[in-house]
Amino acid sequence: MVRYVRLLQLFFRTELQYELEYRLNLVLEIIQTVVVTGTSVAAILVLFSYTTILNGWDLSAMLVLLGCFYLVQGFGELVLQPSFEKFMEHVRLGTLDFALLKPASAQFLVTVRNFQVVQLAQMGLGAIVVAVGLSRIPSIGLAEAIGFPIALLCGFGLIYALLLALSTFAFWFVRVDNLMALYWSFMDAGRFPVDVYPGWLRVTLSSAVPIGVAVTVPAQVIAGRLDPLGLGLLMLGTIAAFVLASWFWRLGLRSYTGASA
Amino acid sequence: MIRTYRALLVAQIQAASQYRVQSILWMLFSVIRPVIFLAAWVAVANSQGGQIGAYDVRDFAAYYICLSLVSNLTMSWNAYDFEFEVRMGRLSPKLLRPLHPIHYSVVENLVWKLTTIIPLAIVLVFVAITFDARFRTTPMHLLLFVPSVLLAAALAFLSGWVLATLAFWTTRVHAVSTFWDRAAFIFAGQIAPLALLPGPLQTIALALPFGYILGVPAEILRGGVTIPTALQLMAGQVVWVVIFYFAFQRVWRVGVRQYSAVGA
Amino acid sequence: MTDAVVDVRELRKTFRVTEREEGLAATLRSFVKRHRKDVNAVAGITFRIGPGEVVGFLGPNGAGKTTTLKMLSGLLHPSAGEASVLGYVPWRRENAYLGRMTLLMGNRTQLVWDIPAADSFRVLQEIYRIPEGQFRSTVNELTELLELQELVHKPVRNLSLGERMKVEFAAGLIHSPSVAFLDEPTIGLDISMQVRIRRFVAEYNRRTGATVLLTSHYMDDVVALCKRVIVIHRGRLLYDGPLADLAERMAPYKIITATLHDGAASSTDLDAYGTVVSREEGRVTLRVDRQVAPERTGRLVNDLGSRLADISVEDPPIEEVIDRVFTSEQTTVSA
Repeated sequence: MVRYVRLLQLFFRTELQYELEYRLNLVLEIIQTVVVTGTSVAAILVLFSYTTILNGWDLSAMLVLLGCFYLVQGFGELVLQPSFEKFMEHVRLGTLDFALLKPASAQFLVTVRNFQVVQLAQMGLGAIVVAVGLSRIPSIGLAEAIGFPIALLCGFGLIYALLLALSTFAFWFVRVDNLMALYWSFMDAGRFPVDVYPGWLRVTLSSAVPIGVAVTVPAQVIAGRLDPLGLGLLMLGTIAAFVLASWFWRLGLRSYTGASA
Repeated sequence: MIRTYRALLVAQIQAASQYRVQSILWMLFSVIRPVIFLAAWVAVANSQGGQIGAYDVRDFAAYYICLSLVSNLTMSWNAYDFEFEVRMGRLSPKLLRPLHPIHYSVVENLVWKLTTIIPLAIVLVFVAITFDARFRTTPMHLLLFVPSVLLAAALAFLSGWVLATLAFWTTRVHAVSTFWDRAAFIFAGQIAPLALLPGPLQTIALALPFGYILGVPAEILRGGVTIPTALQLMAGQVVWVVIFYFAFQRVWRVGVRQYSAVGA
Repeated sequence: MTDAVVDVRELRKTFRVTEREEGLAATLRSFVKRHRKDVNAVAGITFRIGPGEVVGFLGPNGAGKTTTLKMLSGLLHPSAGEASVLGYVPWRRENAYLGRMTLLMGNRTQLVWDIPAADSFRVLQEIYRIPEGQFRSTVNELTELLELQELVHKPVRNLSLGERMKVEFAAGLIHSPSVAFLDEPTIGLDISMQVRIRRFVAEYNRRTGATVLLTSHYMDDVVALCKRVIVIHRGRLLYDGPLADLAERMAPYKIITATLHDGAASSTDLDAYGTVVSREEGRVTLRVDRQVAPERTGRLVNDLGSRLADISVEDPPIEEVIDRVFTSEQTTVSA
């Protein structure tokens, strides 16, 4: 376990060193994330210039939600997107073999291997937007304060499980970039609470592409709108999704090495 | 020229048939964002008794469906390709051919639109039923929509190329296009119909080119503006097309000279 | 050889390939009914390798070499048969086994492109749990043997192919494996780099006593490194034994080269002594059956007398032997 934490540090540090060599690029990227976040906040403000409440969400809660959206999205792009992209490249080029030959968990070595360090800025901005939203809420209970990080971690876990499951198809079909692109385009829907969407879209966003749950639930927790039962279900669901996705990954790996044939 | 285009068209259609899946997915991109904001506006309208300004829930639906169609018809991503080609040194062989590189992307765009229009229409009909869209389109609106969407496509295409041409000077076109896209996000009619942008934002939007690419043709198609207003907005489109046409001519000439001087 | 490091028995790998015709209709049809075909990549091979041996694994493209190496390194499950390496079943991929072996592939890289190799080494240290002291001394030794000094601090993408291969070797051997599978380690390298890699492998084997199984297209690699070779063709074992005996077993002829004083070789009729392979500038090359070679040589010396400037009797070049083996399908010969 300690070894895996140290490895994670190593992966992150090497990537950071690399990015720091291109400072101008880093600065430009950070400015871009500021612009992206700023314009998204502006869009929320435009909507709220016509109303004070949107499906039961007031402006403060909405800001918390948008912040959560950027936290989850930032996490996805910080480590998952670069790692899974690399994974598919490895399958295509046959270099995945090297990861399988190491005396350590191949799933770990593959799925959290690469980082886009600049996305930390995106997550930081998300945290700021959450904080701004929170500052407008008069009081936050202890239960909410504890529940929020748990719900957010579950959000990360759900996204991880989904991407793991999707990219596992690479073992059979090699080219699954399209599937991933589809996922990222659905991701955008997380910027609004999942309950604004009509039936079929809401179902898609809460089950098949759990971005709706991953973003909406943490924001609900902090706004004091989720009971412990809901949070418990989320945790169970996340663990189930993680176990299921890992099992699917091992299945893919077995077929890759011809164990299932 | 016609024969050249025919040859390019045939080659491109053959190439496109290999990328069917990709085209469908890219088509979804032009649907997903409008639907997201449509859902948000429906929620806002419902909280206000079903009406915001001149729009009720069914008008929002019609607007965003039109917006999605227009965005698919006008979308032009050649800026990204071009930057890539300059960076990888793949532009030089194209410059050697007796045909301006812009013609390749005209054809690429045409083919892409041809291959995605039918699946897009199916998806949009589905959205229209879900949200119960109501169109106020008259035959006159439809008649005006054709030149308007052509102007919008020309505008998107030319402005995209002006951005792309910046790759001759800087390798950071990506950053520039992000800023461009985000400005379009606010001012083109994506987050709200132009008529609903609050005071100063609306004034700015009408002074910038973005709204003339998406919002204007979408409103014309929906029948959301009167015919005189539509004509006025189309005059704005013409002005911007002319501006970007000359800007492109100029930037391209200077850019190619710069490029060949560096000898990349 | 009871203490074999690599022990392979009747190992087989059958790939199932789906055949599909071109066109939409054919694609649709294949959804319903697939045409499958079994391809025997490895059709039952048996061999053992003792500790410290360096064995050359030969065969043309598609012979099953890489498939065998992949099974022995645990990347592929065999369809049938058994194998044990260092007492482990490779395809169980136990960490204890993976920590003691390495697979190096000449046409693939495990190093991260954008960062210096030294950083990748650190990651490998953590993965293999190499203690700091041992890590330092191994890196120092590899640095010295491979002359890596500055190379490890440059981003890998800035290295030449040869330099990258040297760094690749260091990365693959950083955990001091007892068994090394080398798949075409010198492919694409220039001659002098090939020589240096060869020298390194020999020296590494001498110093550490690691067992090495090596495939290569370059016979020079094999001649320089391997006393023993295993030849496979179409998934079957053709020869297993000393490199020196390969020619004798596989090519039942010798090459006699006679050089004549008067330069009249082109006109002299030598067909009676053997098959004339070439004539040039007073030199004639003959191919004769192995058994009759001494007798024919004697007759040549007698008959030509003082016209003869020089004569030599040799085994055919190893490439030719191998080539002959692969073109004419022979049955298994085992030493």
